[in-house]
Amino acid sequence: MNNKTFIFAGLAIALIIAAMAPFIASSNPDGLESAFFGIFGAKEIQGSELDEDQAGIAEEEVTTITGNEFSFDSPFPDYTMEGLAKFGEAAAVIIGTILVLGIAFGLSRIMARPE
Amino acid sequence: MHIPDAFIPLPQAAVYWIIALIFIALSLRWARKELKEEKIPLVAVLAAGIFAIQAVNIPIPWGTSGHMMGAALAAIVLGSPFAAVFVLTLVLIVQGVLFGDGGLTVMGANIINMGVIGGFVGFYSYRGLYPLFKNVYPAAFIAGWLSLFIAALACAIEMAIAGTFPLELGLMSMGLYHAIIGVIEGGITAVAIYLIHTARPDIMAEPSGVVPS
Repeated sequence: MNNKTFIFAGLAIALIIAAMAPFIASSNPDGLESAFFGIFGAKEIQGSELDEDQAGIAEEEVTTITGNEFSFDSPFPDYTMEGLAKFGEAAAVIIGTILVLGIAFGLSRIMARPE
Repeated sequence: MHIPDAFIPLPQAAVYWIIALIFIALSLRWARKELKEEKIPLVAVLAAGIFAIQAVNIPIPWGTSGHMMGAALAAIVLGSPFAAVFVLTLVLIVQGVLFGDGGLTVMGANIINMGVIGGFVGFYSYRGLYPLFKNVYPAAFIAGWLSLFIAALACAIEMAIAGTFPLELGLMSMGLYHAIIGVIEGGITAVAIYLIHTARPDIMAEPSGVVPS
């Protein structure tokens, strides 16, 4: 398989995964969030019920503990696009995938090129 | 395992950023010295694939989910733990800045956990395990599992230093969830290595003593 075929095959696989991601991904909290909710009483560590109200309180509590109130509005928060539901999410992950490919390619080209 | 801003006090977050920047500088030096031109497509495809697969959260028990990290994969395929730092840093920057996935002030900690610890544990456990199995795939599976599990424990320790989690409960719950998520990490690491090796056996890294079967 030559370089061109390899990069296109690899990109095709990445884009298929990206397009499918919002439709197949679980919306359960991830390991760190789950530990956080468990420790702050919004969920049993080995239970699956999340207490939404307690989860909100936990998020305020942790900010009080650490004092880190930094927040900023990312263009596509949590891989969403306003008013576009799942297809917006797929588009967001696809854009991210192509962007990462471009940056990785560009930066590697700059770094790998001998002086 | 992406830490949000609120989980770490700013002074500690700054310390993690400084440590991360040292490793980023070393990863750029790796790219300058070790990255051969013919590997560029592999770096780009790996980075894109790792970004995409990180969006796929797979459900695990206890109302929880987890996704692959990809550091062990990048380190094993490209033959250096610094390759994982290089790739994961790019992925984490795009995730944090564009999608608010992982905080910005705490991005240094996320780069340390997923890029540095993930990459180093993945790479060196693969190297240590390969001679035991004389086979790439079980070594890659266990290296992938360990990379995620140890990174999760490091994250729990950072949470304890931050005052966010009590140490013991943090280690226990992070360890429990990530012992399961590690199976996903190990499995996809082994499968991806198989696919890359099948498509392009020539561009897989072959460090001394570790020749893919």
